[in-house]
Amino acid sequence: MEKKKYELCLEVLKRFQKAGILDGLILIGSWSLYFYQYYFSHTDFTPSIRTRDLNFLVPLPSIIRQKTDIPELLKDLGFLLDFRGSKGYIKLQNPDLIVEFLVPERGRGTDKPYKLPNLGVNAQALRFLDFLADNIIKIKIDNMSIIVPHPAAFALHKLIIFKRRTKSEKAEKDKEQALMVIDYLIKTKAEAELKRTFNSMPKKWQNKVLDSLKSLDRLDIITLLG
Amino acid sequence: MAVIKSVLREELQNSIRMKRSYEKALKKLPKGALVARSIKGHKYFYIAERKGVKVAYKYKGKVNDAFINKYAEAKALRAKYRNLLSKVKVQIAFLKGSLRGKKEI
Repeated sequence: MEKKKYELCLEVLKRFQKAGILDGLILIGSWSLYFYQYYFSHTDFTPSIRTRDLNFLVPLPSIIRQKTDIPELLKDLGFLLDFRGSKGYIKLQNPDLIVEFLVPERGRGTDKPYKLPNLGVNAQALRFLDFLADNIIKIKIDNMSIIVPHPAAFALHKLIIFKRRTKSEKAEKDKEQALMVIDYLIKTKAEAELKRTFNSMPKKWQNKVLDSLKSLDRLDIITLLG
Repeated sequence: MAVIKSVLREELQNSIRMKRSYEKALKKLPKGALVARSIKGHKYFYIAERKGVKVAYKYKGKVNDAFINKYAEAKALRAKYRNLLSKVKVQIAFLKGSLRGKKEI
């Protein structure tokens, strides 16, 4: 099952690359965590539990210029269009993967889907995603360059959002993933990168991170960031 | 444990939605299969459709390439969707069983 999921994920990424849109997408969520095993390749880093959601962040303004009909591109892989919620967020679903698109939310925000006419889909706008888009790394796999958030940004972002979660289990998962990634950054002597990323955050966000770490009783990380 | 259960619950809801989507998509595909018959060197097409125990053939005559492609694509998608639908059904049974705990699946 896991192997099939991974193969399908790679196939989706390959098709995006062939269509010329992969460079304009950032793979976020638990699948980016999966690809961190290549970043922490010299360690025993094992990605934690993940759902089928394959989330792509489209940084705004999007650099994707060519028109690509993503639902059509993935149709023969068995992906079906699904409209979620009363607002109609588009998800492309397959028993092994659910592809979804997100954009950074700005200003007052809206609960309406953000249209991505060049891609033939829409996206959900969420807070704090600009931070992930500003701190990225490229991971090379199978002649592809997959863009994912820097592990430090991934972890700090999780520390900000877990308190905003309505479901306590999701918050628990966020905490677990954030601390796991930070622990590996420390293990691989990448504390400087963690500190640099933390310092690049607005003061308000930094306070949110510190509050979260306090509530998690991780004074060691607070000292490191201080 | 709560995290795992929450993920399983979310996945179950996704799978149930997916099952509905595949059933709907299968219904939307054109019914029957396009069958060609050669009569005196000419190709004539029929739509073969199962009606209970019998297979009914509806005469279509000579058709254009777009029509042939439409049925070829529908045939491939039907096979794909059926396969994925059965996969989703297995997932639903597994997830329900996992969430029930010690009770039988």
